[in-house]
Amino acid sequence: MTAPVLRICHLYPELMNIYGDRGNVIALTMRCRWRGWEVQVTGLSLGDPLDPSRYDLYFMGGGQDREQMMVCEDLAGEKGEALRAAVEDGAALLSICGGYQLLGKRFLTCTGEDLPGISLFDAETVGGDTRFIGNVAVRCRLEGMEGTLVGFENHSGRTRLGPAGKPLGEVIKGYGNNGEDGSEGCVYRHAIGTYLHGSLLPKNPSLADWLILRALRRRYDLEQLPPLDDALEEEAHRAALYMVLRKGPRLRLPRWGGWRASGRFG
Amino acid sequence: MARKAWGNGSVKSRLNHYNRRMDARLAAAVAAGKAIAWLSRRLGAGAGSNFPGKVILRLYGRAPEAMASHLPGGCVLVSGTNGKTTTSNLLAGMLRAAGMVPVHNRVGANLMTGITAALAQASSARGIPRGDIGLFEVDEATLPAAVERLRPRLVIVTNLFRDQLDRYGELESLARRMGSALAGLGSRAHVLLNADDPLVASLGKDTDASVHYFGMDSAEETEGGLRHAADSKHCRECGSPLDFETHYFGHMGIYSCPTCGLSRPAPDFAASRVELAGTSGSRVSVVTPTWKGELRLPLPGLYNVHNLLAALGGAQLLGLGEEAVRRGVEGYTTAFGRGERIPVDGRTLFLVLSKNPTGFNEVIRTLRGEGEGMVVLAALNDRIADGRDVSWIWDVDFEELAPLPRRLVATGTRAWDMAVRMKYAGLDGTRLEVRGDLRDALRAALDAAGEGETVFALTTYTATLELRRLLTRMGAVQGLWKEGLP
Repeated sequence: MTAPVLRICHLYPELMNIYGDRGNVIALTMRCRWRGWEVQVTGLSLGDPLDPSRYDLYFMGGGQDREQMMVCEDLAGEKGEALRAAVEDGAALLSICGGYQLLGKRFLTCTGEDLPGISLFDAETVGGDTRFIGNVAVRCRLEGMEGTLVGFENHSGRTRLGPAGKPLGEVIKGYGNNGEDGSEGCVYRHAIGTYLHGSLLPKNPSLADWLILRALRRRYDLEQLPPLDDALEEEAHRAALYMVLRKGPRLRLPRWGGWRASGRFG
Repeated sequence: MARKAWGNGSVKSRLNHYNRRMDARLAAAVAAGKAIAWLSRRLGAGAGSNFPGKVILRLYGRAPEAMASHLPGGCVLVSGTNGKTTTSNLLAGMLRAAGMVPVHNRVGANLMTGITAALAQASSARGIPRGDIGLFEVDEATLPAAVERLRPRLVIVTNLFRDQLDRYGELESLARRMGSALAGLGSRAHVLLNADDPLVASLGKDTDASVHYFGMDSAEETEGGLRHAADSKHCRECGSPLDFETHYFGHMGIYSCPTCGLSRPAPDFAASRVELAGTSGSRVSVVTPTWKGELRLPLPGLYNVHNLLAALGGAQLLGLGEEAVRRGVEGYTTAFGRGERIPVDGRTLFLVLSKNPTGFNEVIRTLRGEGEGMVVLAALNDRIADGRDVSWIWDVDFEELAPLPRRLVATGTRAWDMAVRMKYAGLDGTRLEVRGDLRDALRAALDAAGEGETVFALTTYTATLELRRLLTRMGAVQGLWKEGLP
């Protein structure tokens, strides 16, 4: 078998990149390179046509309101259709925050803008007046991936899944889709939408590999990915998980050392 | 009838009585604040730069404006994402060179509490500041409140980058709030803006104050293409992508909008030529409306040229001449953590505050001038003052740092995140070390460096404070408060 080539389509890289979302593309790229495989990353922006036969994996990050409106307009029509067809065909997709919102059915912003989505996910988002900000831990319910996901969320949109919407997982700590029903993200075939920034994939290497495997399986005969040494990533995952689960605010003890060092009290 | 409700006695005597009561209240609040600051220093609890201010504001909410109203030279505010501390320290040096005494929040405590504490610290027991002019660096989100309270005669905005979006909401709405704060200034005030930052340059359009600009006209020191950390690449007027004719760093450059014709304002205070000399500083040819000349800036990097221009412009708008500017710049001593060199155990620790993507990229660019094989200590914290979200490290071009160090020690509350970032940037495991505890990390970095070698410490805000505190305890530096407060 020839060495696989992973073809990534980075959607709107200059418009939809907030809170380090591009780290996900770095993670996908490096994890293939370490396996000796080639990666091609193509950025597609406003007005660029999307040919679904040319990519294995799609990525779209989050963005601010104005950028979201521009992207929403661009995705309406053919381009959105092409993206949906790609996912129906089994391509992998990861969308974060603002990108996730635009791939649902609609997004009603807090300024009253009604942005139609491409209905890839059975999900609707309504802008709220407070932001959900903080570290998150999620119990992942993906087929073929056990375990937890860690990240940082920062969104005012409240997303509710419809009857066909399958969540990515359940919130262990944090807000997730809407802060009420305990669900986080949405999955359809090999497409994932989530609120987790972080960047998400570097600290959740098994999710990165889940996406890579599914993206490549369409064209290559792969049972599993060759394993990598993920000791550092796993340690970072554990540290982040510990940080989220630890209850209450971080207390800082008085600095006794300072007293002693001043020489007046000890 | 209204008179009757006031009871007997003239309005004037009532007013006097009221004023006396308020004076007494101010004095009590200032006394309490001073006592707490003294106590906290005595107990070694740190610089005590915010808490006393909190207490004063609680006791007398109008304390900052009451104290500031006694300053004969009025107030100057310096705001923006990066460069506030350096700009205001440079300007303070120029004011001192002109024989003025600035009341200055030098420790970087730039919320209303910190400004109040700095005013109280410099004030007499009755709450009258001993100083000629107030010079305060102000957190971007605090600018509206500070403008309203202190009625500044000059506001300087250095730049706006994504820094801590989890605290401030998005950049655009922050700019809107800052713009409306500037709109509240009267026609006698001045505003000095960065012409090279499209977002900052657009802030002056609604104000009655006279607006001035600073910027770099040197096309030599540029980098190719916009970096990933560029934040404001679209025209604020019409939303179309801006054309950059010259690009300095982040989203700084000479730009214009192809759709609506918006263009970079011509700077009043400009750098016509910049010659960078690694971490030791640069030579800058400056052009102002009244004089031209070459200055030797003892601070590294292109971003510090912007800080220089901001301070120089501010000084001129306050009526200072060339001589004071020159003496202020050339006699500059580094602000804490902004490129300080500290001798420790026969090595030199080069301490650079690196708190957001653009600042970090500039620091990396400066380090590249040092060659390869150095020892780096990278401390990433996620405390409130740093921003709880550390995902911004993925917007830093660490790929350019990765080939440089022969040893990189990652530390801080988010040491593992830092280490993972460096791994994905291409730093191999043999050169990477993770030490959660700052003291261990410092030890490891110093051990990895040879005698006489420099360790480059890149630290986020609270990590800088912690490292500084650690060095104080080791006896390498004096306590922050001894030099921090005026």
